[in-house]
Amino acid sequence: MAALQEKKSCSQRMEEFQRYCWNPDTGQMLGRTLSRWVWISLYYVAFYVVMTAIFALCIYTLMCTIDPYTPDYQDQLKSPGVTLRPDVYGDKGLDISYNVSDNRTWVDLVHTLHTFLAGYSPESQQDSINCTFKEYFFQEKFMAPNHTKFSCKFTADMLQNCSGLVDPNFGFAEGRPCFVIKMNRIVKFLPSNSTAPRVDCAFLDQQKDAQPLQVEYFPPNGTFSLHYFPYYGSKAQPHYSNPLVAVKLLNVPRNTEVLIVCKILADHVTFDNPHDPYEGKVEFKLKIQQ
Amino acid sequence: MVKVRVAPGVRPRPVRTGGRRGERGRAGRLYSAFLLASARPLSPPAASWGEDPNPNLGGRGPRGPRPAPIRKKTLEIYSVELSGTKDIDQTDKGDGKEKYRGLKNCFEPKKNHQKEELKKELDLDDHKLSIKELEKKYGTNIITGLSSTQAAELLAQNGPNALTPPKETPEIIKFLKQMVGGFSILLWIGAILCWIAYGIQYSMNKSSSLDNAYLGCVLALVVILTGIFAYYQEAKSTNIMATFNKMIPQQALVIRDSEKKTIPAEQLVVGDIVEIKGGDRIPADIRLLSVQGCKVDNSSLTGESEPQARSSEFTHDNALETKNIGFYSTTCLEAEDSWNKMSTSPIGTATGMVINTGDRTIIGQIASLASGVGNEKTPIAIEIEHFVHIVGGVAISIGILFFIIAVSLKYHVLDSIIFLIGIIVANVPEGLLATVTVTLSLTAKRMAKKNCLVKNLEAVETLGSTSIICSDKTGTLTQNRMTVAHLWFDNQIFIADTSEDHSNQVFDQSSGTWASLSKIITLCNRAEFRPGQESVPIMKRVVVGDASETALLKFSEVILGDVMEIRKRNHKVAEIPFNSTNKFQLSIHKTDDPNDKRFLLVMKGAPERILEKCSTIMVNGQEQPLDKSTAEAFHTAYMELGGLGERVLGFCHLYLPADEFPESYSFDVDTMNFPTSNLCFVGLLSMIDPPRSTVPDAVTKCRSAGIKVIMVTGDHPITAKAIAKSVGIISANSETVEDIAKRLHIAVEQVNKRDAKAAVVTGTELKDMSPEQLDELLTNYSEIVFARTSPQQKLIIVEGCQRQNAVVAVTGDGVNDSPALKKADIGIAMGIAGSDAAKNAADMVLLDDNFASIVTGVEEGRLIFDNLKKTIAYTLTKNIAELCPFLIYIIVGLPLPIGTITILFIDLGTDIIPSIALAYEKAESDIMNRKPRHKKKDRLVNQQLAIYSYLHIGLMQAVGAFVVYFTVYAQEGFKPSILADLRVEWENGNVNDLEDSYGQQWTWYQRKYLEWTGYTAFFVGIMVQQIADVLIRKTRRNSIFQQGLFRNKVIWLGIASQIIIALILSYGLGSVTALNFTMLRPQYWFVAVPYAILIWVYDEVRKLFIRLYPGSWWDKNMYY
Repeated sequence: MAALQEKKSCSQRMEEFQRYCWNPDTGQMLGRTLSRWVWISLYYVAFYVVMTAIFALCIYTLMCTIDPYTPDYQDQLKSPGVTLRPDVYGDKGLDISYNVSDNRTWVDLVHTLHTFLAGYSPESQQDSINCTFKEYFFQEKFMAPNHTKFSCKFTADMLQNCSGLVDPNFGFAEGRPCFVIKMNRIVKFLPSNSTAPRVDCAFLDQQKDAQPLQVEYFPPNGTFSLHYFPYYGSKAQPHYSNPLVAVKLLNVPRNTEVLIVCKILADHVTFDNPHDPYEGKVEFKLKIQQ
Repeated sequence: MVKVRVAPGVRPRPVRTGGRRGERGRAGRLYSAFLLASARPLSPPAASWGEDPNPNLGGRGPRGPRPAPIRKKTLEIYSVELSGTKDIDQTDKGDGKEKYRGLKNCFEPKKNHQKEELKKELDLDDHKLSIKELEKKYGTNIITGLSSTQAAELLAQNGPNALTPPKETPEIIKFLKQMVGGFSILLWIGAILCWIAYGIQYSMNKSSSLDNAYLGCVLALVVILTGIFAYYQEAKSTNIMATFNKMIPQQALVIRDSEKKTIPAEQLVVGDIVEIKGGDRIPADIRLLSVQGCKVDNSSLTGESEPQARSSEFTHDNALETKNIGFYSTTCLEAEDSWNKMSTSPIGTATGMVINTGDRTIIGQIASLASGVGNEKTPIAIEIEHFVHIVGGVAISIGILFFIIAVSLKYHVLDSIIFLIGIIVANVPEGLLATVTVTLSLTAKRMAKKNCLVKNLEAVETLGSTSIICSDKTGTLTQNRMTVAHLWFDNQIFIADTSEDHSNQVFDQSSGTWASLSKIITLCNRAEFRPGQESVPIMKRVVVGDASETALLKFSEVILGDVMEIRKRNHKVAEIPFNSTNKFQLSIHKTDDPNDKRFLLVMKGAPERILEKCSTIMVNGQEQPLDKSTAEAFHTAYMELGGLGERVLGFCHLYLPADEFPESYSFDVDTMNFPTSNLCFVGLLSMIDPPRSTVPDAVTKCRSAGIKVIMVTGDHPITAKAIAKSVGIISANSETVEDIAKRLHIAVEQVNKRDAKAAVVTGTELKDMSPEQLDELLTNYSEIVFARTSPQQKLIIVEGCQRQNAVVAVTGDGVNDSPALKKADIGIAMGIAGSDAAKNAADMVLLDDNFASIVTGVEEGRLIFDNLKKTIAYTLTKNIAELCPFLIYIIVGLPLPIGTITILFIDLGTDIIPSIALAYEKAESDIMNRKPRHKKKDRLVNQQLAIYSYLHIGLMQAVGAFVVYFTVYAQEGFKPSILADLRVEWENGNVNDLEDSYGQQWTWYQRKYLEWTGYTAFFVGIMVQQIADVLIRKTRRNSIFQQGLFRNKVIWLGIASQIIIALILSYGLGSVTALNFTMLRPQYWFVAVPYAILIWVYDEVRKLFIRLYPGSWWDKNMYY
């Protein structure tokens, strides 16, 4: 056994390795002759080409079975998510803080809102139609041009005081900031049975004796009109824009951080998923300094 | 002598003292050599008196003229290490320098440490001292013994009288070894990287998610759990041994405070006076003070095959030779040939004074020397190490490669580290080592049922790769009992049945000679059955008497019926038992024929000795004068039987004339007032320790399995050769050099050595061989018998075999075998005959001492190797399917297809039982018909296995699992086209309105949940394909249908477990978010099924081509 355990010296190992890389006696490189390498490579090329083809075929078949307008399942999209603009995130979620007297602290926030609402300018909404009815806008057929369905217009001016048209500073300068609430799109989702879904904002940790949050909602009552629903998917409604609700917070205390939650109140929108803080509601921290 | 031998620096070779010991040996042997021939008679007696083939059978071979090589053997024993070192020193001068260095080193440190002690301890002169001097030296009194206080003091001073068990690795070290060995290191690295990653995250962002810390803990937990599991398995197998070793604590009868007390032998101290009776194990090294008819069986100590008489006299300078010392752990036997058998005084009792205890006893010293021989790594351990290197190498190199790629793709370093962890986790088969342990212990269990008790789990496989078995003869190849093999009467040799039960004795029993012969056999025999064994089969009954007489008694009992009754009817009137002066056995009986008033004198003994006393010979029941031609016939028969290595006895009788010896005649055995010559020769009977009936088959199996069986025995070459021939170790048509010389009538030197296939080598010849010569011998002859070897020479033989790159199995039972057992790749100790030291040194214990059990062990070992290959191939396959997601995630930026936790659930959950189930797979073809695997060429994990698993099946699995993944994502709204490069946004917790292919917007948690669904889908995809994988791994060459789809039921159990575990994970634990499983829609379970079928078909095609074109390019590249 002693003989077996002889340690090979480094040079011996190197020599062996060199011999493995190129063996002049048998003409083998890395254990195979050139022709063997060609054969084995050809085999692998063929094998992988076939595998790729099978994979491609599977994916192709899969795509053929999929409806281009409606997803097969919406297991995760039972209730829409809610987002807020301006969206500034801190360690844990939305965290908005600015100083009324220092406009550098809020100019970015205002800019975000302007940019966001640019998508709601009349020009960008011109392909959508005006809707005035307050009911679900069901469209069975593709009546719109290019085999699409109609989308209802939502323009920034519907947000009135918070549209940025009246007050380009969205109330930030006066310490009564506007926030825009957006509900996520879900194909063929009907938020409620008959009444329009409504946004409701409040302090998250409302003390009894403290003054409740005073909010001004735009459009009035903070509703998403029912004619924006249902959504038929980006292929059917390429011009669809989410309806928005703007909230103007009127009595945010100064120099303290407050937690505010805006919920969507509708029959089919839930906001009590413990895992998902953005489902059916949006929470944010707000600190206004003076 | 002993002193000289162990003195440092002297180290004489045993050979040199051989002569002196020879003399001594002869003298010492006279007591038993009652049949000693007057002169060295014929040539065959060398054989017929051959070494008693059985150490325990008691013997009576006259070995006058032989220069007592056995004695030399005894002598070497005490120089295991020392003469070994000496040999090495000598070879060092030669060119064998390098080769031996390792061996020498393993001897040296031990020796230096022990030399002083040895010298002191073996400086034994107690045997020379008178009783008075002894009393003075040990402060004791032979009548009153030690006082209890004295004894307690001495016990405290010298420690208990027990052998220190071989140094055990502390349990905690064993445990820690399991924790850091093999893959564990990789996983620890992974865990530590996880914690580092978390630490960095935490320092940057106090509220960062705990995911990484959590993963690190899971990894650590996995390592600890598998470590605990492996440790537990290891401990369990050790426990089997422990219970096996646990014997009833030995008791000793000691005189203390003038009282006889029974105390545990452990509490004996130097100076104690102990009493021993027949059957006891001697509890310490003792100086015998008074002895009645005691013999000791020193075979475990010296390899001496015959029991040796003990007396209280100082008979030899050498402590090991003198009769008045009894050695620890040897067995005290009743001396059968003691004269006063009929007397009432207790037989086989002795009183002695303890002179050495515990490790200071001779046995203790030898046992501790054995621990100096290093244990070799088992072949399977080497294979697993090799495998770990491969997998670890792949894991780390891919990990680092992708770390670099990730960094150069502008990933955050922290993310890159997390990728690295993912890759390592994906690449390491976490469950594999546990699986291997379970597999090995399953086989160990199976082998234990077949009488192979495995001490060291890894030794299970070693037996399978064994290429040389060095087997003992006595007890392993043979039945370990003398049996009548041949008879010669009426000028004819008859064959007796030597099978284990003597069932059919077919020789002609009608002759009148047989009637006479059977009468002599029955009457001239002092052996008796122990009473109360009527229900026991004859061959299994316990007999009081020596080996030959036992054989004769059983033989006659089988043929004639109740021997005791016959003896009773033929009343014995006088008897001369065998002893060293008469050298024959004689008895005179009244006959059972009431009309015949004559006395019958019956005699047996050495054939030529008996023949001398005869003037007539009985042929066909008639007395005829013994003329030259009948004498010639006798010699021929004697030669022939002797040549078979059998022990031959002659039988004669004489009816004493009634007129000279009337009924009232008083026979006096001292004056011998009756004739002892001119008797009538009746016949010859030869005995041998016959081979076990299963052995020839087993040897044939070994041969067809490419295993060389070498017999190593202390017996005489002729006996050894005869047994070797009868069991097939020397095959029927092969000849030794001597045979050829005899056939061609030329001198041995003239024979071309290449013509001989077989060789019989004696210990003396072996001693003079250089290692090169031994190598040559071992390579040139395929059938080798080593005869007259000492247990020490086994070590030399084993080393010789190992130099041939062979995996060597060695059987042994004596204390002296332990170095060889340790040195061997697998030491096999005998469960019945084996000494504790041998069992301690061995890796495996044969419970029935049967060679055939080794063969079943070989079969199991080979099977387990094949099945481990299958298990590993199965386990490695899915590694690619687990690795690819990471690579694609890094490069293409898909949402992560499978998480690390999920991978752990595959590796340690669904895959465990199927991979163990593969251990139950039956052999594909006759595994006993192929050569033992080459240690360096036939690896457990070879290139083909790795490539086929990784690049063929593994890749197919990855593709299949990706299809499931894409299906889930596409049906939920994310088509494959949108998934590419989505990673950054997907994982950004601040993006809560991410658009899918349909324009729907997803919050972070909604995406995350989908991601987990993706994990589950990918997991299920792999699981489904692993079902196909386990099925294809059932065979490597045959079609699954040839193997039988349902023969291995455990596989189906495994598949069921796989499915059930997956169902539980998905539907049972789907709501536990920490586990990252979700409830999967039922149809997704079937998406990967076509791929599973594809895998099956592909593998069937592979196997078909392998079977169709053996040796082809395909076979070379695709067969693993």
